[in-house]
Amino acid sequence: MSADRSTYRPENMTANRTPLTIAAVLSVAMMAPVAWLLGLSIKDNMELKLGTDSVFELPYTLVNYLNILHSSQVFGWFFNSLVVATGQTFGVLVLSSLAGYAFARLEFPFRRTIFVIVLFGLAVPEQAVIIARHQMFNWAGLHNSYVGLILPDLSSALGVFLMTQFFKAIPREIDEAALLDNASPLRIFWKVLLPLTLPAQATLGIFTFLRAWNDYWWPLISATKKEMFTLTIGIASSQINFAQTEGLGFLSAQAVFASLPVLIVYLIFQRHIVTAVSGGAVK
Amino acid sequence: MSASIEITDVTKRYGELTVLDDISLSIRAGEFVVILGPSGCGKSTLLRMIAGLEDVTKGSISVGERRVDTLPPGQRGVAMVFQSYALYPHMTVAQNMSFGLENIGLPKAEIQRRVLQAAATLEIAHLLGRKPAKLSGGQRQRVAIGRAIVKEPKAFLFDEPLSNLDAALRGRTRLELAQLHTRLGSTMIFVTHDQVEAMTLADRIVILHNRRIEQIGTPMEIYQRPASRFVAGFVGSPAMNFFPVESATSNGEMLTIQTGGLGSVGAVIRPPSRFSLSGASLGIRAEDVTVLPAGQPGIPLKAEVVERLGDRTLIYGHLTDGTKLTVEADGRSEARSGDMVQIALDTSAIHLFDAAGAAHHGEGG
Repeated sequence: MSADRSTYRPENMTANRTPLTIAAVLSVAMMAPVAWLLGLSIKDNMELKLGTDSVFELPYTLVNYLNILHSSQVFGWFFNSLVVATGQTFGVLVLSSLAGYAFARLEFPFRRTIFVIVLFGLAVPEQAVIIARHQMFNWAGLHNSYVGLILPDLSSALGVFLMTQFFKAIPREIDEAALLDNASPLRIFWKVLLPLTLPAQATLGIFTFLRAWNDYWWPLISATKKEMFTLTIGIASSQINFAQTEGLGFLSAQAVFASLPVLIVYLIFQRHIVTAVSGGAVK
Repeated sequence: MSASIEITDVTKRYGELTVLDDISLSIRAGEFVVILGPSGCGKSTLLRMIAGLEDVTKGSISVGERRVDTLPPGQRGVAMVFQSYALYPHMTVAQNMSFGLENIGLPKAEIQRRVLQAAATLEIAHLLGRKPAKLSGGQRQRVAIGRAIVKEPKAFLFDEPLSNLDAALRGRTRLELAQLHTRLGSTMIFVTHDQVEAMTLADRIVILHNRRIEQIGTPMEIYQRPASRFVAGFVGSPAMNFFPVESATSNGEMLTIQTGGLGSVGAVIRPPSRFSLSGASLGIRAEDVTVLPAGQPGIPLKAEVVERLGDRTLIYGHLTDGTKLTVEADGRSEARSGDMVQIALDTSAIHLFDAAGAAHHGEGG
């Protein structure tokens, strides 16, 4: 009988209890600030001014969300963020796909060298080039514009690398079959190879969108006019002081509102995100 | 619609490396030619040069009356079936088959007619709406052939298309390919390293070895009268038995050859006048060696391994001097490992190979 007890069973729940407990504790730790934010967003500002402990007490209200609808600039910032994140996502997908195809399939002088130079982009932090970029954009008059907010992150080294690897993984026989099918190089790219990269496009698109949506650093520098703020900058500008003793519920409601697109994107594409993060760990 | 193919003095080099050297080959319209050779001999490269997927370093290739080696692949009038089938994974079977026809601007009605006709021929009409991932290996193979058929090409090129199938399916598909060739009457070039495929499918076999064509002939010519020791050893299973020639005397018509294990062997072979014995070898196929009934004197062979294949029995053994020899005996043979059996050679089926590997055959060989 003791032998039975030591027998390994893959579905033995007792064996899984420890990792489950750790995962549960970590999940609570991750969710707590979100729950706190949600709680604050449905409390009256005056009540919160007396103390945030009132989060755990009735009454709750949706007045902060109604105030967003009536008086906040959040919608404008939301729209700006949507334009910037969508524009960047679209641009990164187009440029990374074309560059990836070229690096994976076309023969041109210094191909390997150029690819290595592109990869160096992964190692250069944004902060290292920010002053030069600021000056360039200032000279070109691109600050406080959508182009100014979208342009800097279109050249995604990670995107080019990801798409190059994905194109390389497609068997060349597929291209050759299309060549024998009398397809032009452009048609092979558009009708045959590009559709095969959809999983990579989805992964790259999601990460680009999320990164662009949450970006704080460049919009803080480039968008100085309030009407060109993105959500991250706008909400930060709404914060009155460090302790935020006034309007805390309203601020929290804006933060929840700002997080909704990210949440929606995650819920729709969670399968792709999990696949991207696990990155071929399981065949 | 089938066309002849003329390959003239074709050479392929990758930098300093010569893969194919001065290859010339004439393929008649409607002929089924199999290019056979060991891995790395350049057979797929030759096929890819005909298809236009590899440049020709030197020489020319014509399909019908038209020189094609300077044309892009899609304009050569050939269709290719790849080893991995190379179906477009995101397209349905019907889309896979019609893609090439859309590219040349055929009317939709004509595309549909051809796809349905090919699907009916290959019995894949019920699969037209499926994607390749939902098909078995055999079905994918049919779709790949269908994709080639709809183009109504002047020649079909097959690059080891059966090698991804299991043994049973491979045999069945082989038969279907032969039937398809009969039905379509098209020129077909089939590359393989599998001699059974070559022997069963080909009107003519082209043996490639060491960058060159070693022999071109019908399957029986290749098997019975191999042009070289390489061909003799490569074609046939089990491989031909070889013995080093120690000495030989000729009386004008009969050559008496002395080898270590076999002793003195008389063969009706007329070697050329300047034939040198140095490095020469004698060859005989396993089925041309007979196991004699018990008590009958012959050449003694110690059986090491006995393989019973049902219809025949293969006896792997060695002669008194240690030379290895394989004998193909009757399926009912009672020989066992460790037995000493007596064998006899069919001297009319003996082949003689000079030091350079060139063959000289007996009358029955």
